[in-house]
Amino acid sequence: MFDKKKITIAYSLEKCSKCGMLRKRKFADGDVLFSESSKCASCDGVTNIEKIFGETLEQ
Amino acid sequence: MNFTNFDFDQLFGMSDDTNPLMMLIWILPIILFVFYGQRIQLYITSGDIKKGIKKLESFRNESRTELLNYVKKNLNPKDDPTKRIDRFLDYFTIMPVDMDPNGIVEKVKHTVRSREDYTREQVKSLSPNIDDIELSKVQTLLEIASSLQMIHKIINHMFLTAKKQNNYPLILPLQMILPFILEQAEAMKDAIPAFKAGQPVGDGIGPMVVGKMMLNSNKESVAFQTVLAKTEFENRQLFLLKAEGPGSTVGRPGDALQKIVSENNLDAIIMIDAALKMEGEDSASVAQGFGAAIGGIGTERFEIEAVATSKKIPIFSIVIKQSIKEAITLMTKEIADQADDVQSQVYDMIRENTKEGHSILIIGVGNTVGVPQ
Repeated sequence: MFDKKKITIAYSLEKCSKCGMLRKRKFADGDVLFSESSKCASCDGVTNIEKIFGETLEQ
Repeated sequence: MNFTNFDFDQLFGMSDDTNPLMMLIWILPIILFVFYGQRIQLYITSGDIKKGIKKLESFRNESRTELLNYVKKNLNPKDDPTKRIDRFLDYFTIMPVDMDPNGIVEKVKHTVRSREDYTREQVKSLSPNIDDIELSKVQTLLEIASSLQMIHKIINHMFLTAKKQNNYPLILPLQMILPFILEQAEAMKDAIPAFKAGQPVGDGIGPMVVGKMMLNSNKESVAFQTVLAKTEFENRQLFLLKAEGPGSTVGRPGDALQKIVSENNLDAIIMIDAALKMEGEDSASVAQGFGAAIGGIGTERFEIEAVATSKKIPIFSIVIKQSIKEAITLMTKEIADQADDVQSQVYDMIRENTKEGHSILIIGVGNTVGVPQ
């Protein structure tokens, strides 16, 4: 009966090129798909942004 | 209590001693609906349509405000751009006469490209030092705001004409199409944040798959805003083609194909694109088929089909189903998750339909905003 308000939150999925570990975090300005993102938390590799996507939540 | 002993004659006033007041109560509404039925329906329907038009008006205003704020914040124009942008929003395109359809595609292509070139130059003139990515974003935002303005204008015109003429049949088609129009207009309004932030949209799944395949190859510009990379796969030569990202553009795959074919012999073309899902179909489901999977006004598809037919190159396609809203707003997780599966389907398709030594062109069709290569 009452429509719930929907909000979409953008996420970036980082993947380590060395150990393959995936980390999902909120999208930050300047994030570009396939670009280098940060140092891997579990090894000394570098993570690349594998995916950028939105997830919709109902409030 | 006994419910079976109703006196129907008495209840409906059909006996001899009919109450004239009851007769009036029966007859008056009938007369009223016979002579004023359409007008009553017009008033009821008008309320719904008015609400829809109010929504369209708010979408139009919101998109205009977002565009103005974006231009003021990111382009730093010398003068106030409001007047010029308002003028751009009212631009219209007159499509060529189709009484004689011979050569119509070239004419449509010329008209549409002239408009694109003109808009690009006008946006550039607001900020001469603007880079190509920013320029393409503003151009897209301008197209969205301009489309929403046009939709509001047309729907409002149809409604006011029907009201002015008290013409119920005229309002019927409006009532029927309004939910579809509202769905598309809302999708356009919701697309603005993704284009402003440079995030990939659902339509970008094709460029995303091909862009990933291109990552470690040399890229060359093959047509306006279109890049080509050459690579190998199981003794076959692959030509990878997509719009040049991460700007908001669909490139010119038709022109690119003509250039590639003039220099190489192709044995197959594989096109990857987003496709509108039917109601009841699952979002992000993947389907394979034949023929050129490419939307838009039709000129690019015509060019691709013409080249493929003249050179007898089969065209295979892979589509990722999605709704209109999903196609132009931030890519959903379900669609993004299909990228790897689509890539493996492309390789399977190559193995099944081509032999070693063959050359295959793979085109990632769609808007490449937020998707580099």
